Amino acid sequence: MSVSGTMPRLGLLPTALVVVCFLGIAGFAAVANGYYVFVIGTLALTAIVGIGLNVLLGLTGQVSFGHVGFYAIGAYAVAILTTKTDIAFWLALPIAAVLAGVTGALLALPAVRVKGPYLAMVTIAFGFIVEHSAVEWRDLTGGQNGIMGIPSPSAMGIAFGERGVTLLAILIAAILLYAFWRLSVSSWGHAMRAVKDSETAAESIGLNPVAIKTVAFGLSAFCAGIAGGLFAPLSSFVTPSTFTFLQSILFVLVVMVGGAGTVTGPIIGAVVVVLLPEALAGLAEYRLLFFGGLMLLVLWVAPQGIVGAAARLFGRRAAAWNASAQAPVRAGALHSQRRPLILENLSISFGGLQAVNGLAFTADPGAVTSLIGPNGAGKTTVLNMLSGFYRPDSGTIHLGVQALERRPAYYAARAGIARTYQTSQLFGSMTVLDNLVIAQSQGRLGVPLFRAERAARRDAVLRAEALATFVGYRGDLLRRAADLPHVDRRLLEIARALATAPAALLLDEPAAGLSREDKEHVGKLLREVAVGGVAVLLVEHDMSLVMGISDHVVVIDAGARIAAGSPQDVQQDPAVKQAYLGEGARAEVAATERRAPGERMLEVGRLTAGYGAEPVLREVGLDVREREMVAVLGANGAGKSTLMRALAGLHRPVTGSIAFQGAELGDMPTHRVVAQGVALVPEGRQVFPELTVLDNIRLGAFLRKDATDAELDELLERFPRLRERLHQRAGLLSGGEQQMLAIARGLMAKPKLLLLDEPSLGLAPAVIAELFRVLDRLRQEEATILLVDQMAGLALALSDRAYVMDTGVVAASGTAAEIAADGALERAYLGSS
Amino acid sequence: MLFASALVSGLGLGSMYGLLALGFYITYSVSSTVNFSQGSSMMLGAVFAYTFAVTYGWPLAPAIIMALVLCALYGVVVERVAIRPFALRGSSAWLMATVAIGIVADNAVLFTFGKEPRGFPMPLASGSVQILGIGVSPLQLAIPVIGLALAGLLHFFSRKTRLGKAMLAVVQNRDAARLMGINVSAAVSLAFAVSTVFAGVAGIMIAPLFNVHSDMGTLFGLKAFAVAILGGITSAWGVMIAGLLFGVVEGLITAGLGSTYTHILTFALVIVALALRPNGLFGRAEVKKV
Amino acid sequence: MTRIDKAAWRRRSVLKLGAFAIGAGLALPALAADPIKIGLTTALSGQSARAGEAITRGLTIAVEELNANGGVLGGRKFELIRRDDEATPAKGVIAARELVFKEKVAVLFGGLDTPVSLAIVPIMNQAKVPFIGPWAAGTPITKNGANPNYVFRVSAVDEIVDKAMLQYAQKNFNTKKPGLILINNPWGESNEKGLRAAMAAKDVKPAGIEKFESNDIDVVPQLTRLKEAGADTLFMVGNVGPSAQVVKSLDRMGWDVPIVSHWGPAGGRFSELAGPNAKKVHFVQTYSFFGKQTPVGEKVMKALMAKYSDIKGPDDVTPAVGVANAYDAMMLVAQAIQIAGSTDGDAIRQGFYKIDKYEGLIKTYVKPFSPKVHDAITENDYVWTQFIDGKILPVGMVK
Repeated sequence: MSVSGTMPRLGLLPTALVVVCFLGIAGFAAVANGYYVFVIGTLALTAIVGIGLNVLLGLTGQVSFGHVGFYAIGAYAVAILTTKTDIAFWLALPIAAVLAGVTGALLALPAVRVKGPYLAMVTIAFGFIVEHSAVEWRDLTGGQNGIMGIPSPSAMGIAFGERGVTLLAILIAAILLYAFWRLSVSSWGHAMRAVKDSETAAESIGLNPVAIKTVAFGLSAFCAGIAGGLFAPLSSFVTPSTFTFLQSILFVLVVMVGGAGTVTGPIIGAVVVVLLPEALAGLAEYRLLFFGGLMLLVLWVAPQGIVGAAARLFGRRAAAWNASAQAPVRAGALHSQRRPLILENLSISFGGLQAVNGLAFTADPGAVTSLIGPNGAGKTTVLNMLSGFYRPDSGTIHLGVQALERRPAYYAARAGIARTYQTSQLFGSMTVLDNLVIAQSQGRLGVPLFRAERAARRDAVLRAEALATFVGYRGDLLRRAADLPHVDRRLLEIARALATAPAALLLDEPAAGLSREDKEHVGKLLREVAVGGVAVLLVEHDMSLVMGISDHVVVIDAGARIAAGSPQDVQQDPAVKQAYLGEGARAEVAATERRAPGERMLEVGRLTAGYGAEPVLREVGLDVREREMVAVLGANGAGKSTLMRALAGLHRPVTGSIAFQGAELGDMPTHRVVAQGVALVPEGRQVFPELTVLDNIRLGAFLRKDATDAELDELLERFPRLRERLHQRAGLLSGGEQQMLAIARGLMAKPKLLLLDEPSLGLAPAVIAELFRVLDRLRQEEATILLVDQMAGLALALSDRAYVMDTGVVAASGTAAEIAADGALERAYLGSS
Repeated sequence: MLFASALVSGLGLGSMYGLLALGFYITYSVSSTVNFSQGSSMMLGAVFAYTFAVTYGWPLAPAIIMALVLCALYGVVVERVAIRPFALRGSSAWLMATVAIGIVADNAVLFTFGKEPRGFPMPLASGSVQILGIGVSPLQLAIPVIGLALAGLLHFFSRKTRLGKAMLAVVQNRDAARLMGINVSAAVSLAFAVSTVFAGVAGIMIAPLFNVHSDMGTLFGLKAFAVAILGGITSAWGVMIAGLLFGVVEGLITAGLGSTYTHILTFALVIVALALRPNGLFGRAEVKKV
Repeated sequence: MTRIDKAAWRRRSVLKLGAFAIGAGLALPALAADPIKIGLTTALSGQSARAGEAITRGLTIAVEELNANGGVLGGRKFELIRRDDEATPAKGVIAARELVFKEKVAVLFGGLDTPVSLAIVPIMNQAKVPFIGPWAAGTPITKNGANPNYVFRVSAVDEIVDKAMLQYAQKNFNTKKPGLILINNPWGESNEKGLRAAMAAKDVKPAGIEKFESNDIDVVPQLTRLKEAGADTLFMVGNVGPSAQVVKSLDRMGWDVPIVSHWGPAGGRFSELAGPNAKKVHFVQTYSFFGKQTPVGEKVMKALMAKYSDIKGPDDVTPAVGVANAYDAMMLVAQAIQIAGSTDGDAIRQGFYKIDKYEGLIKTYVKPFSPKVHDAITENDYVWTQFIDGKILPVGMVK
């Protein structure tokens, strides 16, 4: 496909439609009576504010409930300049707009530091300050009664009158609409969307969110200033009571009703917000009542805005454009500068907890260095320091000779550090292509509204296509990133990181949730990247991947380095085995007589569930009998946790059936599933950190009326460590204690069926042994348990039967002994021979 | 004397702001949403109480209880109508929807309750006691006490009762709370009900000192939002303290410079405070999760 | 016509039907062909809704009376069309434009907010349609410098009220050092100007000028400052609610000081809101339905009670000034149209000047308007009143 088709063009039909609408409205305004002219003028002004606010709200994702303040500044500036000085309207209007724009950029200083409701408040406060300043600064603003008799502009001796001002407003609205479109397809527009979709990821490709948000605030305020500047001569007066908080709300409504981020949204929104009250004018005092009701109705019908909803209904997607294999980036074409990443004595602590302690190692260019360690060892924290998100308490970070330890994330990114995230952080609302193009900018965005030269653009697109091909993405380059399947998101994130032409590439569990083939593919890819001269630093749990591709492995535990060397050296290191691989952890399973399993308690049939279009579980079938302990095994991403969540009701909707003692759980919400007697001890423990241990346990019995203190006592006898810590906050417990607490909490519900999801995850070997003793005791007491655990050997030792899952389907099932003897399990699960 | 009177009236107003702001805090903690028309909830409390106590002539206590029950119902309606349909779809249109429902509530009251402001007589409000050389109404002294008592009650409820702890569980981990058998959507409804009841209490307390009309809550609601944010919307005591602080600062500015500059200065202080402490005065800075 | 316009039209007619279906209590009577449209733009929602309703009632009673008597211009009847301006000028000018250019009203009545009226005035003078103010008291509304001037008023004028307030205080309370306590809105600001001018003319120095917000619960700080500055009388300007806040704050301070007020307290149930000390406030009125009524007064009172079920007696006619001013203004408009012999704006304007005598509610108007005088109410028409036991009574009637 030719490059000329890569930048979004104005579609001929919609463009023609918009132009015709504008001309029609202008034509009508030229002949209509004084009422319609004024309404259309107001409509145009509202649209102008809406277009500006769309830059902030739609593109950058920042809300402002204070835009009436900028509108007022524009209006008062023009009013004051044209009534109290000799400055003509034609000069006053740009002055007003610039004044509002500069104020907007200044407001951005405090505003970009805050988020969500805090940002809303800063803008609300700003609006109020402007309104009340207009009241109190009487000498300048005329106080409560404002400024009357603002002259209408004239050109070549002809006074414009309200009709002229209205036509001018329509013209300016049309120009700004075009400008908005230009902005939205320019580098700046993409950078704004990037900040909106993921501020973190935006920083890590070298974009400075503060600068981008400031520009957005400035542009947005500039538009509001223009609208205000036109309002003054249109209405011939300005008074403070015109610029109220409600007006700010209506401006936001304009963007939301129209469709935030869409080009024509604010126009449609303005039509609704301005014309609806006029249509209701005959209702006199009941107008606001109906307006409020209709506002609710519009929001219900189209919460993403009218244009957004219409686009979904009628929109045609651009033709697919698949990356061709014609121009793969040669390994050398990554043109890395071959610089080592050197850490020395790096430390950081959070609230007294030493997360990383005196860590030192070097990631050489042209090599894959892996950073491994048990969960919670501080691996991601190291990556966050290296990429500038955390500032280390002490120590140095050098990329080549450049010191980075005190630099913000976007600086580190521009210096040559690229990274990926545990859960991929793509710019979801942008296309695959745009994700890769904006990453090449390195924060150099040029002048807003002006696109780069055609040649530069062509190069960027070609490189983006080549990178997509290089990482093995074969899908549509024009697809929205949010709609991609999991594996493509992983690949695309790596491609985006490479697009910044990094010297070092940091990867945080890039293989998590991938199938074995995909993992192998990622492994090869990373080798190729390293060969290209990039220093690759990998954090990964999949040991076979790590051991297969690494040149150098660094093992950390509790924030400190415990071993380093070649994969072979590390694998032989006893400290590593002890800390990480759980060697030496053996549970003594008591050989006790147990009664034979009873009735079928849980029967799962053809269970299918997933996220979006991709099913994670495909027609899974399994059953659990009374007094049975059943294990579900399988690699990361096989769908085990999704299965547990589906059984517990946390994952909905599902298809297929989950029959439990005659009840169908498949369409029940969680709290009703629990009431049936099914308790899930979730992955990652998920205790309530701010509540005491005792409260956590008691909440386990939330649905039971018959829980007694004796029962609690008995439970605590089972978990003596918990008794010691009964009145401590659960968040202060160690990982092992938290896991015990989670199980105790689950048992407190007196479940008929206990679901355990990865209870041993991230625990020290000694703790794992203790945990399995607890489970063994439950087994002896003939509890019915469905267990998912990574420690396949231990799980099998305890279980009566087991299922093996692979990529969402049941691959094998049988008694524990059968499964343990089957070599397929080892391959599927442990990933090594 | 000026100072003392600013202090007394500031504490009274401040605990009102605090109560309204606690309402923001409760719903925000449980559902990450707020009712932007909290002022209307406050107005409804006063209007309902007036209707039962004055129009229907009920004794004060049942009238207030009935009014608060209706407030709770209104809170549930707000959540069902203006929050849930949007929050479920991940849309932030609830911002606008709660404003819309506030407009509807205000205007519905305008046409049913009437357009005239009405005086709400209450035994506590009449007469004055001399304190620090200034006259204050007993109700003015009672308001901070009631406000703090309610905040304390909320604290007690959440720490000591089963239901309260369930609410805390929802705040801390939604999924885990579900796994305990807690009906999370019911908990969210309850949060909104409690939030409007608090606003209703504030409305009933302020009514005898002020008056009752359909528009009485608008500005209070907005200032209470400022207070909630200033306190760091994730901390209950922070919100209450911020309320008292806001009230006293407002009182002092009014006493020192006259009420014309109150809005400009208090809102400017809010911006400055948030610029210096982006998570509010008492909010915890969250460690950035990457 | 463009698409948008048509759509708006269609929607509008649908909604109008809806409005009638609601049966908005004020649904207009069925009219003979070709009625004369009378516009009203005022606040019908929000804080000032009650005042807007009072104007509506005064106009409605007058219109029904006129129509029952056969209308004007040989049987043409009046039709009242109202729009809510939400007390903001921007909404007000749109509403005024709609009524003038689209509905083609013969005359337009304004509301109670001075800034809204001021914003509408230029439109009316340009469109040459008479604009009548039954409430807003801002001086420049009628003295707007336009020639010809299409703006008339049947209401108090701040400048004159302010002079009268000072005069009354000096005469009755021997005021030397008044303290001003003014609502912080356009009305308060207009009176600050008027009172300053009045005091300067009489060489009186105020103890202080304090403002308060309509939502202020406690006005003690402002009042304390006035007290400490040695104020011997308070000049109060504020709507009924805020005025009550001032009185309640005075109660708490235990400060017994004469209060001379603009007509704000008449806007509602001042006794109920302010408590027993409401009676200490002496305020200006153009009309009171209490006490012995003229035949016109009795007639209007009867019509009000017949038309509005919530009116049981004079206590329920609040704010009385809105009703009275609007009633008289409408009657004067009818006369002007009758004299003009057409609904042409300029002819009606000339008609106003030719009104000879009208026995109205507030007074008997004798040549109320001339090219120089566009205000029908003069300082001789003000009465000083007190709220006693929920009734507005002339000062001195009850001791």
